[in-house]
Amino acid sequence: MLQYLIKRLLYAVPTLLAVLTVVFFVARVLPGDPAQVMLGEQAGAEAINALRIRLGLDRPLVEQYVDFMKGALSGDWGTSLVTGRPVLGEVLNVIPYTIELTLASILIGALIGVPLGAWSALHRNSLIDYVTRIGSLLGLSFPAFVMAIMLLLAFSIQLSWFPVISSGGGGSLAERLRHLALPAINLGIIMAAYITRVTRSSMLEVLGEDYVRTARAKGVPHLAVVWQHCLRNALIPVVTVVGLYLGILIGNSVLTEIVFNRPGLGKLIVGALTQRDYTMLQGLMVVYTFIIVVVNLLTDLTYGFIDPRVKYQ
Amino acid sequence: MSAMTGEPSAAPPPANRALRQFFTAFNTNKTSWVGLVTFAVVALVAVLAPVIATHDPLEQNILDKLQGPSAEFILGTDGFGRDIWSRLVYGARLSLWIGGVSILIAMVVGSLIGMVAGYFGGRLDIAIMQVMDVLLSFPSLILGLMVVAMMGPSVGNLIFAIALTAIPPFARIARAPTVSVKERDYIEACRALGYSHPRIMAVHILPNIFPEILVMGSLWLATAIRVEASLSFIGLGVRPPTPTWGGMIREGFENILDTWWLSMAPSVAILVIVFALNMIGDGLRDFVDPKLKGERGG
Amino acid sequence: MADAPALSVQGLTTEFRIGGRWHAAIRAIDFDLEKNETLALVGESGCGKSITALSILGLIPKAAGRIAAGRILFEGNDLAALDEEHMREIRGDRIAMIFQEPMTSLNPVLTIGFQVAEALRYHRGMGQAEARAHALEILEQVKIPSARQRLDDYPHQFSGGMRQRVMIAMALACKPQILLADEPTTALDVTIQAQVLLLLAELKQLYGMSMIFISHNLGVVATIADRVAVMYAGEIVEIAAVNDLFDRPTHPYTEALLRSIPRVDRTSDTLMAIPGQVPSINRMPQGCRYAPRCGFRQKICEQPPELAPVAGSAPTHQARCWVRAGAAS
Repeated sequence: MLQYLIKRLLYAVPTLLAVLTVVFFVARVLPGDPAQVMLGEQAGAEAINALRIRLGLDRPLVEQYVDFMKGALSGDWGTSLVTGRPVLGEVLNVIPYTIELTLASILIGALIGVPLGAWSALHRNSLIDYVTRIGSLLGLSFPAFVMAIMLLLAFSIQLSWFPVISSGGGGSLAERLRHLALPAINLGIIMAAYITRVTRSSMLEVLGEDYVRTARAKGVPHLAVVWQHCLRNALIPVVTVVGLYLGILIGNSVLTEIVFNRPGLGKLIVGALTQRDYTMLQGLMVVYTFIIVVVNLLTDLTYGFIDPRVKYQ
Repeated sequence: MSAMTGEPSAAPPPANRALRQFFTAFNTNKTSWVGLVTFAVVALVAVLAPVIATHDPLEQNILDKLQGPSAEFILGTDGFGRDIWSRLVYGARLSLWIGGVSILIAMVVGSLIGMVAGYFGGRLDIAIMQVMDVLLSFPSLILGLMVVAMMGPSVGNLIFAIALTAIPPFARIARAPTVSVKERDYIEACRALGYSHPRIMAVHILPNIFPEILVMGSLWLATAIRVEASLSFIGLGVRPPTPTWGGMIREGFENILDTWWLSMAPSVAILVIVFALNMIGDGLRDFVDPKLKGERGG
Repeated sequence: MADAPALSVQGLTTEFRIGGRWHAAIRAIDFDLEKNETLALVGESGCGKSITALSILGLIPKAAGRIAAGRILFEGNDLAALDEEHMREIRGDRIAMIFQEPMTSLNPVLTIGFQVAEALRYHRGMGQAEARAHALEILEQVKIPSARQRLDDYPHQFSGGMRQRVMIAMALACKPQILLADEPTTALDVTIQAQVLLLLAELKQLYGMSMIFISHNLGVVATIADRVAVMYAGEIVEIAAVNDLFDRPTHPYTEALLRSIPRVDRTSDTLMAIPGQVPSINRMPQGCRYAPRCGFRQKICEQPPELAPVAGSAPTHQARCWVRAGAAS
């Protein structure tokens, strides 16, 4: 087990470097001049050049790479061209909101998805199974922002149950929850769609396993067979897959935050884009890569804990 | 040995079998048919856009702006007085074009990469797959966002960005069957006969991975369309005034209290086509999956 | 023979649904299992031996199969007609079953201590501590070394032979009357096989159980069985005391089976394989099911034969063959 942990941690380091390199590649090496993109088509050559020098784009590539990596790994993710404040600071300001949203979405997704998926598998080819399958397919066909807009229209604007602009809510817990609700439901439904499908297929596989037959042959009651023998095995691949889906969640949260006007990384990105804040944008890309690597690592570690075959080598 | 082609014979040509399997899959799965028909209708609309559109999508009629559905404007007009129906139809064209081309590129390039990695194995294989894994760890939207943000929004860049996110999965899918087929006896026979690597790959390995590639293709087309719409919504899509579904939704959203209904038509359009493609892919996958041995990457 | 049999199977027919229609996988299975006896069910893959055992315990998946006819008499109940709740009480408690593949038949995420104690907790209402103590006892009885330390180990930490012992411990936890053993040694190394067989025999003696031992391996059967029933294509084609079967194999299939295994005490130039194939479940011949492959086939074999006593052998020796076992009914 310890071996597994150490191996995973060590493996995370080159992965991080590799992923950061991809970001550098995207930011510097891809065809297209970031300075030009930032200033737009109308900009004159002089202005573009000035920006390039300011951004350090005129220096040799290798030098840029080393600087970039050094900065990224030491937490210096640049300074915003617009506000002059360090990117790291801006990010830390909004990270709690993003984490809050992510956790809430996973919770909702799991609370809906796991029972639904399990039920579906246990009653294969029944009406509920069929409806669940179509429903989950529909759920993940929704682009996140489409669903977000519909939720906003229905529940905030028409019914006024929730605030139209979810600024994150300062005061009480209740306020905060009110602001969290719709965005979390939005992403939660999408997560639920994925989780339902994975749980269902995992459960179906487990139901056909020999040890389920053994449990029945011992006279174990049906509920206990489902819970102790089926679900505990079926959920192992689900947990690992949820780790994968976190990536999709992060992607979608950008859209959700835009629609609900909620503070978070997504809004920072859009702000940086509209304001042509190049360093901010680059800094945010670095942030995302860190998040990705950490999420993958956590998923691997969790898997190590829940599967005894890994835990006890 | 088959006297006809001179190739060492294996079982009946896998390509024919796969095609027959596909038809059986479609016949048994009603939802796949619904998906296929729906998609075909939308594709037809997109192709026939110049014919079906009632107005020039870029033509502004300020006097007629923000009107409801009428005889002249089937779905009404937007904030600049442009006909929504025409914009919708041309938007379909753009979405399908960007999505289709990017996935096609991803299928070809990704499969090639996967086949080469699986076929030659060794260090090349490891190196290639490491790169693929790193790319895979990025969520599609984020990677697409980064690329387009840095390169600037244009149809070409969008296609490039989306293709980039889709190549690694295709490489993965192509690699595993390649590895297992490579070991079979008739491949040995081919090599002994001096057949070149590309020929072996094209004739013997490709037909085996074809079904899975197609299934992935339809599922990823759905994702590609969704990503393109998302990017347009954020503002990274093709620049206005070119009509894109994501852009149209954004226009409706910007004044959500007054003009929310502008978002409805394109929203439904995206939903319908993505859902249809997912139905197709899902139905096919249920069928193709058990046939494939040892591919399950999980 | 004054004692009633431990289990009496009468006319058992189990059907499976194939392509929308029901086909009998096993048909008109009749046998009694006497107390303290080991009855072997022998035959090639697909002959229905496992299905017979699963039918007894009501473990045939309801979506695909059903018991279509017959009675299974056990302790005054007809198991074929018993409702699920009562069957559940019997399973693992009065009748237990062990399976062929110990690795896949044990739950990988639960400790073996838990799995062995499970039946005790549900059938005897024991608390955790008590059940654990009992589990330890049984694990020691099946000769798991350092059982106390290994109670909290997981199945993947055991070798194949050890896992099979764990399975046996699991099954015998509640000291059942009858043990159904479905090819328990087939997946094990030969040396381990012998140990496990010995263990089974000892425990059977100790607990006074009856056992139905399923196998396709006649060598193993010879060492462990009191009586043998040979199955082919879903029917019992010969049933006899073990010595009678090996001395006087009557049904042509039994003969062929015996001829196809290499024996140390005979010089045989060639192993004789049986030509042809077992008929598929939905395309059974009308008459004798073995006739298409039989060298002794005659006109009368177009009628389905019944089990009849074999002339010149013990009255308990019966075979289903017109040619070899005389006319029937």
